[in-house]
Amino acid sequence: MTSPSQTGVVEKAAPAAEGGAPPGLAPRQLMWRRFRRDRTGMVSAGVVLFFFLVALLAPLISTLYGKDPYTTYGLDRPELLDPLTGYPMKPNGGIDGEFWFGIEPKLGRDVLMQLVYGIRTSLLIGLAATVLSTVTGIVIGVVAGYMGGRTDYFLGRLIDLLLSFPQQLFFVAFMPVVTALFVSPQKETPTYFRVTALVLVLWLLGWMQLARLLRGQVLSLREREFVEAAKVTGASPWRIVRKELLPNLGTPILVQATLMLPNFVTTEAALSFLGVGMVEPTPDWGRMFAKGANFYEGDITYMFFPGIAMVVFVVAFNLLGDSVRDAMDPKTTR
Amino acid sequence: MTTMTLNHRRRARTFTVALAAGALALAGCSSGGGSDPKESKEPEMTSQGITLGTPADSTGPAKELPGAQKGGTVTVLQRDAFEHLDPGQIYVSDELIMQTLYNRTLTNYRIDDKTGKVKLVGDLATDTGKSSDGGRTWTYTLKDGLKFEDGSPITSKDVRHAVERLYAPFQTNGPTYLQQWLSGDGQKYRKALPDGPYKGKHLPKTVLDTPDDKTVIFHFDQPRAEVPFAVAMPNIGAVPPEKDTKEKYDKAPVASGPYKIKDFKPGKGVQFVRNPHWDPRTDSIRHQYVDTYDVSFGHQWVDSTRRLQAAKGDDRNGMTFTNAVDPSQISTVLKDKEAMARSMTETQPYVDVVSINTDRVKDKKVREAIAWAFPSGQYLQQFGGPKAGEIGGGLVGPTLKGYNTSFDPFQKRKYPGGNAKKARELLKAAGEDGYELVYGYGNGDTHQDAAVVVERALERAGFTVQKKEIDQSTYYTQIGKVDNKYDLYRSSWGADWPSASTVVPPLYDGKNVYNDSANYSHLDVPWINKEIARVAKVSDLNRATAEWMKLSEKIFTKEVPAVPTFYNRLFTLWGPGLGGVKWNAVYGAVDPTAVFVK
Repeated sequence: MTSPSQTGVVEKAAPAAEGGAPPGLAPRQLMWRRFRRDRTGMVSAGVVLFFFLVALLAPLISTLYGKDPYTTYGLDRPELLDPLTGYPMKPNGGIDGEFWFGIEPKLGRDVLMQLVYGIRTSLLIGLAATVLSTVTGIVIGVVAGYMGGRTDYFLGRLIDLLLSFPQQLFFVAFMPVVTALFVSPQKETPTYFRVTALVLVLWLLGWMQLARLLRGQVLSLREREFVEAAKVTGASPWRIVRKELLPNLGTPILVQATLMLPNFVTTEAALSFLGVGMVEPTPDWGRMFAKGANFYEGDITYMFFPGIAMVVFVVAFNLLGDSVRDAMDPKTTR
Repeated sequence: MTTMTLNHRRRARTFTVALAAGALALAGCSSGGGSDPKESKEPEMTSQGITLGTPADSTGPAKELPGAQKGGTVTVLQRDAFEHLDPGQIYVSDELIMQTLYNRTLTNYRIDDKTGKVKLVGDLATDTGKSSDGGRTWTYTLKDGLKFEDGSPITSKDVRHAVERLYAPFQTNGPTYLQQWLSGDGQKYRKALPDGPYKGKHLPKTVLDTPDDKTVIFHFDQPRAEVPFAVAMPNIGAVPPEKDTKEKYDKAPVASGPYKIKDFKPGKGVQFVRNPHWDPRTDSIRHQYVDTYDVSFGHQWVDSTRRLQAAKGDDRNGMTFTNAVDPSQISTVLKDKEAMARSMTETQPYVDVVSINTDRVKDKKVREAIAWAFPSGQYLQQFGGPKAGEIGGGLVGPTLKGYNTSFDPFQKRKYPGGNAKKARELLKAAGEDGYELVYGYGNGDTHQDAAVVVERALERAGFTVQKKEIDQSTYYTQIGKVDNKYDLYRSSWGADWPSASTVVPPLYDGKNVYNDSANYSHLDVPWINKEIARVAKVSDLNRATAEWMKLSEKIFTKEVPAVPTFYNRLFTLWGPGLGGVKWNAVYGAVDPTAVFVK
């Protein structure tokens, strides 16, 4: 018996575009082949991988570089910061052999370390939110599409409701309430608590697009012959979803997830920029922008590094998402 | 008096990556610091020698300024909207300076155009007051030719009405010195005249007497040396009883000064135009050079700094009463020689302290350790460095009479990052190593940065710090609760006149431990309460100010109720088209009364 997935959309379409593809290659291998030929995709993947490595290896970088993101070097060593303005004494934001990316105005911390650890914070939160949202999106989307009827209606309205929530306003209102509920007034709000709250909110308000997309896909898939055939042979709904539907949803899920992650990272940064995300002294990418916006008249260099890093990251991730889609669904290639 | 809000309000910003990238493209690099030492010259810290003026000093007109001419419109850029125009309700710094344009009080401060020296002189009154009965009775005589904006004469009945209406329940925001001295402490004074003068009742002649149209006599139950200063507060002026619209007076008060209110749009702005019935011969303090003052609100510091520095169009004749150069723009302005020529950096009467909640931190040794460990210098750096303030040694600031420059028992100036070693020793000796402190701070950028500095320094000294952020808009309400759960929190207080008598009692008297009181340390120590009551009875002004100063120093070293962090400074700009801009040291703001358009 052939697995229905092999007769699915992906495989059927592949030979048409690939033409003389060598026989015996699985769709996965074909996709990898196409992806490897896409130079933009490979470079983007490299860049993205680099960001994840930096985030992962932050403590190692800190040890090798000999600095940490918390020490206020500029305040501890008065010759580094101009006492009158609080900006670095040396030109270009205090870049030198010791501080490769310069030092932060006023507090005098190391910019490179702030950025590396800031990327770590933002990526961790973004990744967690992406995983949770993707799983939720799949479950709700498939359920809504496959069950149809009343379930579909109610889930559809729930999605509408959540889509209409202003995310940032919700977070601004949400954070003090949960803090008051769970944190003793005598104790500092723990960092893990903030991270959890951020992830929860990003998750709660981030899964709907994917769910909607999948619902549409499932609606059309469930009328297809191979699903009908599975039903006739008496397969359980669970088996149909797992073995017939999900394998055909791989493309939209992967593409959506790669686009979702940079989106979450920028949203997290935006929340911190607005002052409701992570607070000092936890290093944070978004807060570096907020500071940069304050300092840009006197020290534009400070904005430079987080700015460039964010632009590179978002562009690379979006290009990667495009390339993945191209590779998986060759109908859309140029 | 209190400053309007936390120093730095949150600014609304939009977040776009494109904006960041665009800014990067504009300028790839920035030059370093290392400012010219000439530019970093700070105001001299000689304590304010405010003297009492003679009747001759009180007689108008004010001396003409060389080159001054009449006409023109001055644009005034302010951050916070004025909430009150009723002189009885005014108590915040920007409104205090604004009311000098249209409101006259019994006495007032005359600021020398050249030296900036301040003299207390008679304003509505012919002099600063005559005391008799050992300082229990004060008599004021009104000048001739005083008129309201409608041309009707100002008499002693109008002064009496202005005082008596302060007893009415709707008068809640202004200073209460004179009312309390006349009729009782706290809120007790209101019982003397529960409805104010509105139902035909008046204060008895044994308290406030107006024997004729020109004479006002105050009777107190104990010697009150500082009455001349108390009647310079904006609420001790003249209000015509028949024009008093009670609550509505807050929007349209009747002017007695050289300007009157033309157009007040709450939250937007206010326009002041000439008052034709003001007679310069009755006024030794104010001029009437400018046609119109056009005040508009909602200008963040960044905005006002940029506009006044560029000085384009109307901003050529622009100024601000209390907006400072934004800390992020200090370096830009310092490099601009032309703009620096029309700037000033002056010390304000405000003292920033970090109060220690003595209800929670009961051990004095621990409080001393906090005082040693606190990084005042690094903390000030976050608020803008020497252009925003001077490291504080004691609890009262340099604008007060008798201020002692060398008083710095915890060596805050020597150790800008705090003396962690000494603090650690004290903490060990007290057996409190690892003592847990809850540090409450307003949730804004600057305060967050300052919290980083504070946490580092206190932890170095052996404390465990729990930082709790407090919503900016309710900050003072939160820390004002007597049963708050914080150990350390910032607050700011300014002397109402240059004597520590307006600092020590409101901040450290045990009577003032109640919600929303300025006694944020909740200090209630018998010997302090007794000393305050004793010094309040000293009838000689000079001796009293000296005693208050001594008491403030003793409270600090003996009880350590707070750590002084910095004495505020204002670094501000005005447009090149203006002359006669001077500094009002009493209100800590730029004085508009002698401004003219060149």
